[in-house]
Amino acid sequence: MAPEHSPPGVRIRGLTVVYRTPAGELPAVSGVDLDLPPGTITGVVGESGSGKSTLALSLLNAVQPPGRIAAGSVEIDGLGDVVALGGEALRRARGRHVGYVFQAAQNSLNPLKPVGKQVLDLGRSHGVADLRGLLADARGLLDRMGLDGARVLDSFQHELSGGMRQRVGIMLALVLNARLVVLDEPTTAVDMITQATILRIVREVHAERGLTTLVITHDLGVVAEVADRLAIMYGGRVVEQGPTREVLAGPRHPYTRALLGAIPRLVGDIGEARALPGRPPTLAGIPADGCVFRERCPLRMDVCETGRPPVVVRGSRSAACHAVRDDDGDRPAVTAATGEDQS
Amino acid sequence: MAVLLRRLAGHVARGLVMIVVVTTISFLIIRSVPGDPLAARYQKLVEQGMAPDAAQRAVEALYGFTPKGSLWEQYVGYMSGLAHLDLGQSLSVPGTGVSTVLLSAAKWTVIPVLAGTLLSFLAGVVLGVYAAIKRTGVLGDVLAISGSLLHGVPQYVLALLLGAIFTTLIPILPAGGTADIMIDPGFSAAYIGSLIEHATLPVLTYALAGYGGWILAMKSSVVTVLGDDFILAAELRGMKRSIIFRYVARNAILPLFTILALSLGLLFGGAIFIERIFNYPGLGLTLIDSINNRDYALMGGAFLLITTAVVVANIAADLLYTVIDPRVRSGGEPA
Repeated sequence: MAPEHSPPGVRIRGLTVVYRTPAGELPAVSGVDLDLPPGTITGVVGESGSGKSTLALSLLNAVQPPGRIAAGSVEIDGLGDVVALGGEALRRARGRHVGYVFQAAQNSLNPLKPVGKQVLDLGRSHGVADLRGLLADARGLLDRMGLDGARVLDSFQHELSGGMRQRVGIMLALVLNARLVVLDEPTTAVDMITQATILRIVREVHAERGLTTLVITHDLGVVAEVADRLAIMYGGRVVEQGPTREVLAGPRHPYTRALLGAIPRLVGDIGEARALPGRPPTLAGIPADGCVFRERCPLRMDVCETGRPPVVVRGSRSAACHAVRDDDGDRPAVTAATGEDQS
Repeated sequence: MAVLLRRLAGHVARGLVMIVVVTTISFLIIRSVPGDPLAARYQKLVEQGMAPDAAQRAVEALYGFTPKGSLWEQYVGYMSGLAHLDLGQSLSVPGTGVSTVLLSAAKWTVIPVLAGTLLSFLAGVVLGVYAAIKRTGVLGDVLAISGSLLHGVPQYVLALLLGAIFTTLIPILPAGGTADIMIDPGFSAAYIGSLIEHATLPVLTYALAGYGGWILAMKSSVVTVLGDDFILAAELRGMKRSIIFRYVARNAILPLFTILALSLGLLFGGAIFIERIFNYPGLGLTLIDSINNRDYALMGGAFLLITTAVVVANIAADLLYTVIDPRVRSGGEPA
C-alpha cells in the first residue's frame, strides 16, 4: 500500500524489453534507467518505434507477447519491483496502484456495456465493498473534468466523443485512487481545443490528487505544456533527460536538437523548420553496437560505430552521446544559464 | 419502444414484399418444370394395368379439376388464394389441403433440425472459445482441425457414415422411420422412447454437420476480440479474469447470432438428403415427392414456407440485435 500522504516514486533500472521475431529476440527497450520523482509529471518523447509505449507497459509488467521483459527492474514505492510481480498480486496492483490511460483513439471500453456498469466491474474486480460510493466517486471525477457525470455513466462508448472517452479513461485510471498514473498518447487523435482541455485536466488532477504521472507522447509541445521532467527516447534508449525547461532551452543530444529544430514556428519563415533526415530505425534495424542515432546524426564520429555512448550526468540532467562528452566545456554551461533565465 | 415498433413495422412491410416477389418467381419456375401431374398419374395407372380410357376417367375424377387457363389466370388465382391463406389442394395426396400436408411433415423436420442446430451451436461456441484461448497449444489445433474436417464433409456423407456405423457395424440404432410401427402412437413412455431412438441419427447428423462451422466461426471471432484494445485495457485496469472472459464471450458471440437466426430460417428446407437417407417423413422428403409427382400446389406451398421462414428469421435476427447490441439500438438517433 502506498502511504496516503505522499505520491509514489518510480525507479527504472537497466530495463530491457525484447520481442521475439523470426530473426531472434530483438530489443525494443534496452538498458533504460529512468526515475519518476514523487509528485512530478515526467514526459517521455519519441518517434513511433522508439520503445516509449513498451516502456509505459513495463510499468505495469504488461508487455504483450511476443515481447517480454528480459532484464532490469521497475521499483514502485509501496509495490516493490513490479517485474517480479505476477498472478493475483500483479492484477491487484494494476488499476489500484497504477492507473493506465489509453490513447484517445483507442477503444478502451467494452462497447456492449454502459460506462457505469464497467466502473462496477472494476470495483468488483478489486473487492471494493462500497460500490455505491465508487459510482459517486466516478461521477464526481467526471463532473470535475467538465462532463455530465450521471449522463456519461449511463452512456455506451459509441455515444461519447473522443474527448469524452479520454476523460472517461482518466476517470477509470483514478477512480480506485491510484497515485501513479501512466498516460499513453493522451492527446493523439483529438482536436486542438480538446487537446488543450485534456492537458489542463491532466495538470489540475495531478496537482489536486497528489499524483506521480508519466506522459508518453510523440509531441514535444505536449511535454512542454505539462511535464516537469522530460526523457527523449530513440531506438529503445533514453538519449537525454532532465528538467523540461532546461532540456528544451538547451538540448545537448543531437537528436533532441534535431527534434526542436523540426518544429515549425507560428512566426517567421516556415523554411526555418528543418525536417530530420532519414527514418527512425525499425526493430530489426536498431544497431547492436555503438550509438543508435548515428545513421541520422550530423556529429557522427568513428567512435559512434563501436562504442555505446556513455551517459553523461550533470546535475539533474543526463545525455548519452559521444559528442556531448567532447562538448563538456562551454555549450552545456551556456545552456544551463539559458534555462535559468527562462525559469 | 417506439423505435422498436417502427423498426418492426418496416421489417414486416419489406418482408411481405419479399415474400410476394419470391412467390412469383417460384410460381414461374414451378410452372415451367416439364411434365404434367395428370399425365404422370395417368401413366402410373396405366402401368398398374388399368385400361387407358378408365385411367383417364379415374384421373379426372380423382382430382376433380385440371389446371386450365393461361399462366396469368393461374397466377392470379394462386395469389388470391394465398391472400386468403389458402395454399390450395395437394395433387399427389388427393383430397388433402397443402397446408395439412406441410404441417404434418413440418414436425418431423423442425424438431430434429432445431435440436441438432442448437446442440451444434452450443458445442461449437463453447469449444470455439476454448480453441481460441488454447490456439497455440496442441488441444487448440486438434479442435480447429476437427472443425475444419467436419465442416468439409458433406451432410449426406456424414449421414451415410453414421448410418453405417450405428445400424450395421454396431447395430444399436434403428435405420429409418420415425418410430417403431409395432408401438401404438400415443403419450406412452415406449412410444416417446422409440421416437427419440429414431431421431437420434438425424439429430446427430445435423449436430455434427453444423458443429464445424460454429467452432471455426467462434474461434476466429474470439481471436479478433482478444486482440481488441478494450480487452488489453481491462487487463491493465486489473479486471478479474472471469469478468474479462465475459467481455470477450459476449462480444465474440454477437456475429454468430446472425448466422444462427439465418440457419434457423433455413431449417424448413435444408434437410432433403438426411431425410431421404433416414427415411424421415419431413419437409425435405415431402418436397422431393411433390417434385416427382409434379404436385404444383405442394411445391409452391413448400417454397412459400421456406421463404417465409427465412424472412421471419431475418426479422428476428435484426430485432434480436436491437436487444443485445446497444450500438444497433440507438442507430438512427443522434448519439
